[in-house]
Amino acid sequence: MNLRNSPTREFDFILLLAAVGLTIYGALLIYSGSLTTYGSPGQALSHPVSRQIVFAALGLAAMLMFSRIDYRLLGPLSLTLYVVSIAALLFVLAVGSSAYGSRRWIIIAGTQVQPSEIAKITTVIMLAKFFSDNEGNMASLRVFATSMVIAAVPAALVLVEPDLGSALVFGIIWLAMVLIAGPRPLHLGALVAVGAALAPIAVFVIGHDYQKARFDSWLHPDKDPLGSGFNILQAQTSIGSGGLLGKGFTHGTQTQLHYLRTQTTDYVFSVGAEELGFIGAMILFALFIALLFRCLRVAGLADDSFGRLIAVGVMSFILFQVFINIGVNIRLVPVTGVPLPLVSQGGSSLITVLGSLGLLQSILGHRRKRSRRT
Amino acid sequence: MGILANGRRRRWRAEMADEVDPRTRVNQKLWVLRIVIVLAFIALTVQLARLQLVQGHEFQQRAALNQLRIEPVVPSRGLIYDRNGVPVVENVPGFSAAIVAADIPKESELTIAGGLQDLLGVPAVETTMKIEAARDSLDPFTPVIIKDGLDEPTAFHVREQLPAMPGVQIVVDPVRHYTGGDVLSDVLGYTGRVDEEDFAALKDKGYIASDRIGKAGVEAQYQQYLRGSVGRKEIEKDASGREIRTLATDPSKPGNDLVLSIDLDLQKKATELVQASANGGQGAAVVMDVHTGEVLALVSLPMYDNNIFSGKIDETKLEQYLNDPKKPLVNHALAEQYAPGSIFKQITGAAALQEGVANPSTTITSHGYIQIPNQYDPSIRYTFKDWRELGTLDFYGGIAMSSDVYFYYLSGGYHAYGENFDGLGIERLARYARQFGLGRLTGIDIAGEAEGNIPDEAWKKKTFGDDWFLGDTYNMGIGQGFVAATPIQMVRVTAAVANGGTLLTPRVVSEVRDANGHVVVPNTPKIEGSVGVSGANLAILRDAMTQAVSWGSANAGAVAGLKVAGKTGTAEFGTPHADGTSDTHAWFSGFAPADDPQIAVTVFLENGVGAIDAAPLASKILDYYFHRQLQRTDGGVAGAPVGVTP
Repeated sequence: MNLRNSPTREFDFILLLAAVGLTIYGALLIYSGSLTTYGSPGQALSHPVSRQIVFAALGLAAMLMFSRIDYRLLGPLSLTLYVVSIAALLFVLAVGSSAYGSRRWIIIAGTQVQPSEIAKITTVIMLAKFFSDNEGNMASLRVFATSMVIAAVPAALVLVEPDLGSALVFGIIWLAMVLIAGPRPLHLGALVAVGAALAPIAVFVIGHDYQKARFDSWLHPDKDPLGSGFNILQAQTSIGSGGLLGKGFTHGTQTQLHYLRTQTTDYVFSVGAEELGFIGAMILFALFIALLFRCLRVAGLADDSFGRLIAVGVMSFILFQVFINIGVNIRLVPVTGVPLPLVSQGGSSLITVLGSLGLLQSILGHRRKRSRRT
Repeated sequence: MGILANGRRRRWRAEMADEVDPRTRVNQKLWVLRIVIVLAFIALTVQLARLQLVQGHEFQQRAALNQLRIEPVVPSRGLIYDRNGVPVVENVPGFSAAIVAADIPKESELTIAGGLQDLLGVPAVETTMKIEAARDSLDPFTPVIIKDGLDEPTAFHVREQLPAMPGVQIVVDPVRHYTGGDVLSDVLGYTGRVDEEDFAALKDKGYIASDRIGKAGVEAQYQQYLRGSVGRKEIEKDASGREIRTLATDPSKPGNDLVLSIDLDLQKKATELVQASANGGQGAAVVMDVHTGEVLALVSLPMYDNNIFSGKIDETKLEQYLNDPKKPLVNHALAEQYAPGSIFKQITGAAALQEGVANPSTTITSHGYIQIPNQYDPSIRYTFKDWRELGTLDFYGGIAMSSDVYFYYLSGGYHAYGENFDGLGIERLARYARQFGLGRLTGIDIAGEAEGNIPDEAWKKKTFGDDWFLGDTYNMGIGQGFVAATPIQMVRVTAAVANGGTLLTPRVVSEVRDANGHVVVPNTPKIEGSVGVSGANLAILRDAMTQAVSWGSANAGAVAGLKVAGKTGTAEFGTPHADGTSDTHAWFSGFAPADDPQIAVTVFLENGVGAIDAAPLASKILDYYFHRQLQRTDGGVAGAPVGVTP
């Protein structure tokens, strides 16, 4: 094997374009969704679109910065980053500000920061580091169990907030990464068996009343069409009434007349589906599929398992959030509040995702050039 | 190989290390992830296509229903003018707070009810109950009134709070403000919110639950004309029920205007005069055009203020009215019946002439009373008094002096102590009374009339289980006993005497016009029939009534410069006092000018004597009517409708 140590300096412009495309798509929907509340985005920096653009700029800067730094440097830092983000999650539980009955934010320099978003990427890095360090030892139950604990700690902390959606994200991150790392099938099988046995108990014993209520209103939104079923029914109506071509940008009656609630965050997809129709939604899907496939391409090309695992982790949490968020909008899954990556209004999520994609660019750009010809 | 591989499969670690290139393995797993991505998006796409492409149409309708509301546009209620074109009512904006149950999120129900309690003082429990009831009804979109009659500052204050209270509305709808004063309350009546019972019947006619309809008087009687036709408005509403814009309007058609036959000026003066004579008691006066049946003035005392029913009902005042023994809410001119007393002699006299019982020269002597023996025991005698010993009188004298004895003879006859005079008898007397319109509704266009009573043998048998006696006929002949009539019935009797025998239906509305001034219902007299007395006989009666005023008992009804004909009445009522006297109602019923009758006037005072109290009052009303009229330069003739330009 002939190895040369100079990095490839490759940069995936398709990945960048997909991310930027999704961010612009999101900014447009936020503009439309906040039109009747805020009017046109002008000078005011408090306007949701202005804020989103600022966050997007910060996120892109983070992406470029991370793409320049060798991702391997994160290896030794992974534990520190992980511990700090866990501390932030604890902090949020202690003093965080609440909205809609749960504590999710802390205020830093006048800006709401959602530590659970940042914890997603630090957990990915921590797990990637742990799995790659134990590459030869994957059959060990200790390794399997430890990796589970690494994901379970942040998951448990966000579950207490309570934020079931984000807790599930940590589970999915762990599941995708452990599968790539190559666990012993016996362990996974046992876990599935235990999980299946505990699931009903978990739902009925520790299941938060409000989760139960959400599940119930997902099944029967017509029971209380003006209360708990309101968002579900109105999102469905918004999307359905969009039809093939939509009602036209900023012309969605459901959106503009506030029948749709939280229309720049959890229900931003409904705005797009109403105003841009099925075609508009397909464009969004295409952008996401492109983005996710490019993430997997990074995983396939990565030099080492650390990089590969990071790429898979990032891809998996993006995919899961896209699926859950849109699934909630179209009533495919029960109401769970997760943002639509790159599209929903919210700085923490946007910067985290764009920064994570920068990490993927770094994995791609810091491969050692090597020839497989011997 | 197969056997070897089988053997090694148990050794998992070795298999991984030896046989498969880790890179290929990872690539396989990445392919699995690619498939997962594709499957996830297929699932999303299928569900999305189901919503947008398959059920799209259904959801489009649902979205449209979401924001589109079809609301009725309540027409503006027709206005009312007096016969001279003076407006007596106006529509002013009334504010009320309402809820639309369909727009209230269930979880904010209590907050909103609490907010309304703070703002309006309406108990939250009451509001919650109304919300729940509306929610369970078939029509949760119709506003339900929570509080009526808000003043303007309160309405604006609540309106500012509306963004925080989805589903709450400030409803602005016109309410009536009567400008003619209390004097017209009994004629106009009032409007009020439609109640549940009425609404059930009116729902199909385009009425809405928060509508106002006429509840009394002309407002009720002419509801269908005043209402107009409801329009429809298609409006776009946002999620909290606020109106964004109007998409289409099918305008409402304003109600028709009414022209009263009432002369506001005369009405005011007559009220003032009756008030001066009634001493705080009940009283009534009706002035009627003898040719058309148009009522020029209709006074009922005590009065009430019909403005208390507009907007929010003034409960204190209403309570006061309801507890007042003088019953101000009752229209004493037509809803209460009294013994007519001697003004009934018009009928007894007309009937006697027509039936040949008497002629102008029929003379009867009043010794101050007559006596009749008990038919089984002649030693028992019953005495029927005259009001004084009047001597020998012909027909003119009998009417002019209002001799009771004269009319005992005419009604019951006299067959005792050597005399043999055949009277009308109850059957004929009752028949003529009915021909003059007594004992039934006059059909005046104000609801609530009393029928009065014309007794006969069958009636007495049925009511008291007793036989009809001669004394009953005597009493009836002078308008006492079982006879009861309303002032509006009696003015019609006098009008029929004056106009030569035509029984007219009295009206307070002469004409109905649309908003552009075109006549919808023309001013035509409504003739009920003939009283069945010849013109010649009625002329004799008119002559006799003229003499009553010129030299007889009704002399106080005379007016300088005007020839008045009339008849007084003093009707006993209640139980007699210890000294044998009774409380009396005072009546006067007459017409003028006597030789060319234009108007008839009947006045009633709860307490008084006809000649002393009622006749002077009628005189003043007639004086005002004719002499005000004569002062007019345009020479407008009494009774002729004057042009109205609304």
